[in-house]
Amino acid sequence: MKQAILMPVLSDTMQTGRLTRWNKSVGDPVHKGEAIAEVETDKAILDVEAFADGFLAGPLAPVDEDIPVRQPIAYLVDNREAALAADDGTATAEKASEAAPAKTGANQAPADTTPRATQVSASQATVPTGKEDASVPVSSPPAGTQIPTSPPSPSAKRNAPTTVPTAGNLPRSAAGASPYARALAQDLGLTIEEIQPGADGQIHASEVLAAALAPRPVDLRYGPPYQISKPSALREAVARNMIAAAATPSFRISTRVDLSPLHEQGKRLRLSFTLALTRACALTVAEDPWFNGVWTPTGWVSRSRVDVGIAVDTGAGLITPVLRDAASRPLAELAEYWRILLGKVKTGRLAPEDYQGASFYVSNLGIFAEVEEFDAIVPVGASAILAVAAPASDGRTQLTLTCDHRGIFGADAARFLQRLTQRLKDPAWLQ
Amino acid sequence: MSEILYWQALNQALDAELAADDAVFTLGEDVGLYGGTYRVSEGLMAKYGEWRVRDTPISENSFTGLGVSAAMLGLRPVVEIMTINFALFAMDSIVNMAAKIPFMSGGQFTMPLTIRMPGGIARQLGAQHSQRLESMFMNVPGLRIAVPSTPQDAYWQLRQAIRSDDPVIVLEHELLYFSKGEVDTHASAPPLHQALIRRSGRDLTCISYSRMVPLALEAAQALHAEGVEMEVIDLRSLSPIDWATCVESVLRTHRCLIVEEDCRFAGVGAELAAELQERCFYQLDAPIQRVAGLDLPTPFNATLEAASIPRQEDILKAARALLNLPQGES
Amino acid sequence: MDRSQLQALLRDMLRARAFEEAAAQAYAEGKIAGFLHLYPGEEAVAVGVLHAAEPGDYVVSTYREHVHALVRGIPARQIMAELYGKKTGISGGMGGSMHLFDRERRFLGGYAIVGETFPIALGAGYAVAYRRLPEAVICFFGDGAVNQGTFHESLNMAALWKLPILFVCENNHYQIGTEIHRHSAIIDVYKRACAYGIPAEQVDGMEVLAVHAAAQRALERVRSGDGPQFLELTTYRFRGHSMADPGSYRPEAEVKAYEAADPIAAALHEFQLRYPGAADLAAAGNDCLQRFTDHCCQEGHLDETALARLQAEVQAEIEDARRFAEESPEPSMEEARAILARNHRLETIVEAQA
Repeated sequence: MKQAILMPVLSDTMQTGRLTRWNKSVGDPVHKGEAIAEVETDKAILDVEAFADGFLAGPLAPVDEDIPVRQPIAYLVDNREAALAADDGTATAEKASEAAPAKTGANQAPADTTPRATQVSASQATVPTGKEDASVPVSSPPAGTQIPTSPPSPSAKRNAPTTVPTAGNLPRSAAGASPYARALAQDLGLTIEEIQPGADGQIHASEVLAAALAPRPVDLRYGPPYQISKPSALREAVARNMIAAAATPSFRISTRVDLSPLHEQGKRLRLSFTLALTRACALTVAEDPWFNGVWTPTGWVSRSRVDVGIAVDTGAGLITPVLRDAASRPLAELAEYWRILLGKVKTGRLAPEDYQGASFYVSNLGIFAEVEEFDAIVPVGASAILAVAAPASDGRTQLTLTCDHRGIFGADAARFLQRLTQRLKDPAWLQ
Repeated sequence: MSEILYWQALNQALDAELAADDAVFTLGEDVGLYGGTYRVSEGLMAKYGEWRVRDTPISENSFTGLGVSAAMLGLRPVVEIMTINFALFAMDSIVNMAAKIPFMSGGQFTMPLTIRMPGGIARQLGAQHSQRLESMFMNVPGLRIAVPSTPQDAYWQLRQAIRSDDPVIVLEHELLYFSKGEVDTHASAPPLHQALIRRSGRDLTCISYSRMVPLALEAAQALHAEGVEMEVIDLRSLSPIDWATCVESVLRTHRCLIVEEDCRFAGVGAELAAELQERCFYQLDAPIQRVAGLDLPTPFNATLEAASIPRQEDILKAARALLNLPQGES
Repeated sequence: MDRSQLQALLRDMLRARAFEEAAAQAYAEGKIAGFLHLYPGEEAVAVGVLHAAEPGDYVVSTYREHVHALVRGIPARQIMAELYGKKTGISGGMGGSMHLFDRERRFLGGYAIVGETFPIALGAGYAVAYRRLPEAVICFFGDGAVNQGTFHESLNMAALWKLPILFVCENNHYQIGTEIHRHSAIIDVYKRACAYGIPAEQVDGMEVLAVHAAAQRALERVRSGDGPQFLELTTYRFRGHSMADPGSYRPEAEVKAYEAADPIAAALHEFQLRYPGAADLAAAGNDCLQRFTDHCCQEGHLDETALARLQAEVQAEIEDARRFAEESPEPSMEEARAILARNHRLETIVEAQA
């Protein structure tokens, strides 16, 4: 049996994934749960796990290309021979011609038990002489697998039964756009030629909508000379998220507070300032249900646990590991959890469950002494975000709370700051 | 409300109409003493007598014509043709008389005639007894065709057919007679030919009728597990067709899949696809697809017979293809 | 039979002949199109049978039914207008020559598919018996129809359930162009009724009084609950099957025998597109109309003055019908659609067709 391995869906926003490497080659045995490839998603590099035992069969999807989710990237088959044979079926013509000179080498080295699939396909694609045929180091492919066939000889054509045209074997209409896609494009002021086709080579409404939601192209004609490079998936994801967040109606409210008591209390408990501040925020969020929820088209979502996301600068971009249950977990446990998250951040192995779905965020730029004040953008799905600047000359630090106005009103925010400030001034509660 | 079988629903509907109106009578082969080959008229001869529940000789053309003329004189005959395959002998009475007399007479005569016939593909009855001729009847203006898929519809659509002043063909599916469902004999039923949305969905519209409706609903459930929401419309009537319901749905989902047991070539789906593309073209996000019976006389061999009509897997494949989704296992 | 009854028979025969004559003329002038099947020669059948019928009886007819309709009492105006396809026609212009219907006069229609009149009569008979009413159903058909399956199916059921139906075979010896010897193993059609135990009689269909008497006897039995009866009336159509048929397949000798060596009729036969005028046919001895006119005169029920007056009245009536048809408006497509949708009374969402 041949089963497709699909580009996994690893986050709710993920539409494509980019393979960074294959851990296995065609014909290799694969065990259930084993990481067969790595994929770069919105925010991290993740493993593609095998969901069954078997042998890896091609064609393998190329590395470093955006591949839509749920598209096959490889196949799993029952045995090695099938794995190797299956691959020639889809070898492209270029690959075949490219590999042709190498064939001799393969023939001379029968000890190499893992001949490249392209070599096999080359021997199939060329008209084999008896000698070459005998020297091909693989058994003939089992029935049912696809083999590229040379054009049928005229005699074969004559003998072939006449095909009665049925709807099934008529050619489909050439690449194009669906009527709905065209109508949508027109309504949205897009020209259909600018739109990238979908997986089937046709333009559907989803492609038009994606194009419409994509940021307007920047007019670069009159600016300085430039070159274009593809940003990392992480940067692309941040850009997408920020565009989405811009739709949230928000307002800002600020205060200034002396954070040194909290610093000192944290030191006493050998607790990082980040964790101490997170705890203070989490407790304050827990007191007001409007801060632990989010507005959705289907209704107001109220959450039963306070998860706090913390903006972290990775050097290569922004990521927000989430401290789950930050209000009620024991501090020691929370600290250990934070240590693990930071480790994942360093190795680029943060999974979607590690960085998505907080109800409240904290962004702390306090280590940059020049930053006297700033505000942050509320991520989609959160109620508010707290921006923490560096202490000013009077020792006090500006805190700016940006709130989603659909759920939170000005007085709510003011009361929130009141309670938070109280906690920060007198952190005896932190034990 | 009670759970009863499809044939029992028809039996109760016939009983109710015979009781309600003296002008109603039924006739056909073996409908009387024997009670009907699918038991639809069971017990009715004893209750209403032989003039109202009439066993006929094997003369489909003439006893169907009898119904036509009795309807012209104001009776409300319910003709049972034992299977749709025998209706070919009665084509003249149905097509040339029932469908035409009200019109040719300049509207002087009504045609309160109901013609019940089981059809569709059952199990290994051979090519002559495994047909779906609905598209033939659809091509005849003046006829109405009801295709109930549930006991509830069987009950109400038969009653409405009997009360209609138009000739109505009630197409019953042989494999539905023993399907079970709740029948509410007090509810007010939707109009005879109104299509019903049996399951809502946002991703694509599946239009179906008769026995293909339960099949489409099973497929929709399977697709739900894959994250695909397929709307399922039960046409309930093939003539006239409730275009409003179909069009509204297709305009919402932008994708349409038609599932019919009828042969693909010049079948019911061909009419649906043609009309819907005329009405919805600029809102379609993919070509309208049909899952239909194969264009061949039904093979006797069980495996081939099953392969000649739509199966759940065929619907799943077509739906995924319409949505541009991978087929999973290949 | 008294004088007024005889005169009524004669008047209807004259009306029948004059009507068909006018129809043929209008057809030749291009005012009537389609199929036009004419009745001349067979008038004694329709007049004899239908004068024996009651207003409560039902009549089922074929595509050669103008005269059945006329004698049944449908005004000549409405029949002619229907032939013209006009809105004022008895079927609103939707039926035409072969599909005259009159619900009020219990004229269940002309049926253009050979063999359809049997099941229609069967259903009407069933409905009458179902309601236990003393009414009869008169079913006309030609000799060509008896080889259709419905003939046997319907006679069987009519006899089985003793339905009140009088089957009337207008045996003009031809199914279009095929003579009865070449289409039926048994050329005495009435004998076929024996297979179903239906009493049957063969009568000279050129003799209106004999037809009338036989029909009266049969209808009495039908009404008294004896079940179906069967009459075979031998007759002859003077013209081809329809206006498109010259009738040239019939040996000249045969035509002449029926026209009783009448020189004018024989001469007219050579020019089939012209139709014998009333005066021509009056001179033809074996014409049912002529025979009956002579009979009435000989018996002293009619004189030349009365005959001339009768003929003038008939001519005026038919001329009026022709003018009415010509001047009547055409039906519209909206009316056609309205007729088709007339019965959707229980529907709330039947869409109007675009």
